[in-house]
Amino acid sequence: MKKTAYRITVSLILFNFICISFLIISNGYSVSEEIESKFGDAPIIDGVIDTLTNEWNQANKIPVNLNDLPIELWVMNDEKNLYLSVQLELLPVAHNYTEFVGIMISNSSSDNLEDFKDARIVQFINISENEFEYIDYSINNSIFKNDAINTGNGSARLEDGSSTYEFSIPLNDNYSDHEDASVEHGKSSAFMIVYGVSPYYPSGIRKSITVLVNIASLSTTTPLFINSTLFILVIIIFIILGAFYGFYVYKIFTLKNKIERIKH
Amino acid sequence: MPKIPKQTVKEVNSKEKYKADEKFAYRSTIISVIFGGIFLTVSLILNTEFITLFLNQNIIWNIVDVSIKTVVILLFFLFMITSIGNYKELIGKPLTWKELLLLIFLSLGQTLLNSLVFMFTLLGLILILIYLFIVQET
Repeated sequence: MKKTAYRITVSLILFNFICISFLIISNGYSVSEEIESKFGDAPIIDGVIDTLTNEWNQANKIPVNLNDLPIELWVMNDEKNLYLSVQLELLPVAHNYTEFVGIMISNSSSDNLEDFKDARIVQFINISENEFEYIDYSINNSIFKNDAINTGNGSARLEDGSSTYEFSIPLNDNYSDHEDASVEHGKSSAFMIVYGVSPYYPSGIRKSITVLVNIASLSTTTPLFINSTLFILVIIIFIILGAFYGFYVYKIFTLKNKIERIKH
Repeated sequence: MPKIPKQTVKEVNSKEKYKADEKFAYRSTIISVIFGGIFLTVSLILNTEFITLFLNQNIIWNIVDVSIKTVVILLFFLFMITSIGNYKELIGKPLTWKELLLLIFLSLGQTLLNSLVFMFTLLGLILILIYLFIVQET
């Protein structure tokens, strides 16, 4: 009786521990307007998400609403760039001929409109032919001015009613370019995701949302050799498991022979 | 005099029961090891990311992905522990902590590439161990 009581007490303690662990996990996903950029391998900025090469696999993916328009926002970075992908699904007829998605970047984590000094826009010229252009603007008093040098990259593609926009924004830890906003490792920057239907900025903007992106610092990134070591370790464990499994199956069959020999 | 045939019937019945139990244990060992092998293969494919499920999806699909990987490993553990337990019964030895720990270690080892899968598998294994701890005979 004492033993049973002891077992039930130990089980209850463990059960409580597990329940508390689950509560801690659920709190991690509570803020939707703030997103952690994850460190990963650079994707190809071509408007296509290649499933075969596990492109964007390491990105942090959250659903957000551009006012009433639901979109998927994916964020990741490497040593050199911050990568953002915006995907929106609309009926084919609902896609505007000259729709665009832009990223307006604040110089800090401030989301005041006047702090957004930089904009990267992927503008469809002819959406049915998947023709687009990528433009880098600097913003001064709500006036969009073309940068002398287009930094970063952007691309878009419409396929079966779903349009995918991809951006790469250089992480300028040694900030020197006054045309671009400063986006750095280990810091938070406010980004305004905008959607519009005509190539006039900012008047063409129809929907927008501001998100705070926490960019992974270089010191917190998992070095490549750790990932490789873990992968090799997992392969070794599977090899050991395979060997054990084979040996165990062999033992089962020898046991059958033994039993039959004893019977006869 | 009448007691002797009665005892023989009892002995025959007990022998038959033992044989049936043995047959059942052996069958269970084989079936469990086959299922264990199937789940080990699925786990190899998913947990080494030879095939990635739900790549282009949001957080909900990521949770589904983690759940599938976790469940596959837990099922592997359950079937293998059943099979090894029955095998040990057939050879007349009990399942020891050493074997249980080795299986736990190898099950957790499969999850090293994904911290979420590791965490949920660990929780699942703890729950299974609690269940085994409670149901074992005193």
